[in-house]
Amino acid sequence: MYNMWEFLERAHTGPFCEDEDFNFKIFMPKVEEVVEKYDIKYDPKHPVSADDDLADRVWQAAVELFLEVGVLNVDTHRRIMVSESELQEALYHYPGRFWVGDGNDMRVWESRCPEDNKTPFCIFSPDITYDEELMLPSSIAYVQEPLADGVCGPILEETIGMKIKSGAPSEMSGVLQHAMTLRQACRMVGKPGMFLVAVGTAQSDTGQIAVSNEQWGVRPSDARLIGALTEFRIDNELLNKIAHLKQYGGHIGCLSGSIYGGYAGRAEGAAVLEVAYHLVGLTIYQGTFNNSFPFHLHYTSNSGREMLWLVSVQHQAISRNSRYLSTSNGFLNAGPGTEMVLYEAAAHGLASTVSGGHLWEAAPTHNKYRNYATPIEARMACEVGHAVARQGMTRAKANEIVNQLLAKYEDNIADAPKGKSFQECYNVKTVQPQSWYLDMFKKIKDEIAEMGVEFPY
Amino acid sequence: MSTLDSLVKAVMDGDEAAAITAAQVVVDDGVPVGTVIDALTDGMREIGEQFARMEIFLPEMMTAARAMKAVLKALEPVMKEQASEVQTKGVVVIATVEGDMHEIGKDIVINMLEVHGFEVHDMGFNVNALDIVNEAVKVEADIIGASALMTTTMPQQKDVVEILVEKGMRDRFHVILGGAPVTREWVKEAGADSWGENAAVAIELLESVMEEK
Repeated sequence: MYNMWEFLERAHTGPFCEDEDFNFKIFMPKVEEVVEKYDIKYDPKHPVSADDDLADRVWQAAVELFLEVGVLNVDTHRRIMVSESELQEALYHYPGRFWVGDGNDMRVWESRCPEDNKTPFCIFSPDITYDEELMLPSSIAYVQEPLADGVCGPILEETIGMKIKSGAPSEMSGVLQHAMTLRQACRMVGKPGMFLVAVGTAQSDTGQIAVSNEQWGVRPSDARLIGALTEFRIDNELLNKIAHLKQYGGHIGCLSGSIYGGYAGRAEGAAVLEVAYHLVGLTIYQGTFNNSFPFHLHYTSNSGREMLWLVSVQHQAISRNSRYLSTSNGFLNAGPGTEMVLYEAAAHGLASTVSGGHLWEAAPTHNKYRNYATPIEARMACEVGHAVARQGMTRAKANEIVNQLLAKYEDNIADAPKGKSFQECYNVKTVQPQSWYLDMFKKIKDEIAEMGVEFPY
Repeated sequence: MSTLDSLVKAVMDGDEAAAITAAQVVVDDGVPVGTVIDALTDGMREIGEQFARMEIFLPEMMTAARAMKAVLKALEPVMKEQASEVQTKGVVVIATVEGDMHEIGKDIVINMLEVHGFEVHDMGFNVNALDIVNEAVKVEADIIGASALMTTTMPQQKDVVEILVEKGMRDRFHVILGGAPVTREWVKEAGADSWGENAAVAIELLESVMEEK
């Protein structure tokens, strides 16, 4: 039987390995080996794969990668290794069903499978920073969305006019402000117990620990994201967060984003790696879920053809072979207020949902520009996700629709329009979307309905 | 295929052992070491271009760069004999700033810089701003590169510039910032000199900076 302390110990006593050797002698060759051994091949005609055997081979490749490579603690230069029996034990005991949030806002979050007619759990999140004065209205905007089962709020870059600096007192001020403002937004909207994944402003372990507070901050019924370092690495600060959250009782979300074009190479290797990150999340992080954001090295997005294939295959691999929860985090190329971003959001929500994933939507504009995200992009992805789950859409049909959607934007990915900021797309005082954006939303939704998506409203 | 072509191919393929063997054959054939290095540099430039076009990916680029470094190390005695040395385009000190553990972007830039003939001193990640400045002084760098992937670590990029100002050596170094959240506006606010939207742009920019020096 393993426990948290066992992994904390292994982080200091595991096999010694220097960083460069880990990359060149262990990690990269093993990725290449398992991709070949399990015959994993990207198929551009099927951005939504319907190949169960491929999904299962990706799973097997990920298991082999994880068990043989382990995770490198860059502070101690030790590899944390997990045995096959420990992995099987973790998979067996993982509940696959959780209550999250509090009171009337509590939700059940449970595992899905490909083509499942259970609707995806939807977390609304801009994944980007906002001006300090926009923190409350933008938080309200996300919290008030009807399909939001949970919210990960806007991130602060400044606190009381000071630039937030990781590890400095300004970070402490910023994380408290973030937690209090997000909780206040929930109360104002009338969802005081809403499930929160917070706080993104906190980069350091001390920042995350500081917001654990049941009155004004992050509760045990909420979740925190703990990142993984690129690729297959961890450090003591991340382990500190795990230790704290296990004791506090909060849900742990392992934040993982394999890079297409990075150390794992092409779509095939990046898909295997992303699944393997879920095994890291399940065992070493002892997480409730992974928030999964594989992304393209050049575009920082995952709505292109090869990325949707990766998203689709990885979620099928996970959901066919385990009950472990995974949110599919959309990273889009175009910005808010453009038709392109709505097509992208729809494609990402659709490919993820029919593949058994849950939704975490969405980071537009290459996840780069402050204030450039609104709940409308997330709304599109989640409305599509709910619709296709309810109608029991097959992966084959989803593939047809995603190909139609891709035809509308894939040639423009490199030069995607930046679009408009939150304050241009919303009336900031009333916290309502501008009518022109709602009209655009309706137009695109009608087009998608024509393609075969049966929206309930 | 000539022995020199075989060497370049082995390096571009990232086959370190074959590259070292081929390098010995080339030297034994009497090819001047300067010619060898020029051919290898051209080959690595092609690798960089293939990576920018996404025809190859990070593993291929990294293994090619490692093979190149191994060959240069193997050729050191011959270079000394022939009084030849690799011409560096400039000296760069580069680091991911304090509080930030993300290295992949920085590592890509380092590889591209090295294959384009820069001498690079990589300080790794989570590096204090003063340590970066001190290292730049120590190695007599021309360029300081500071990378940040988080908005909350970007201020540490500005710290580098502020320390240079405090020490009265701001004009001594070209300061380039990198990282996904970095924008042209931030570079201006931080008081840095330039920003590479991606690795290829950064290399082009730094080459022109060094030409103007």
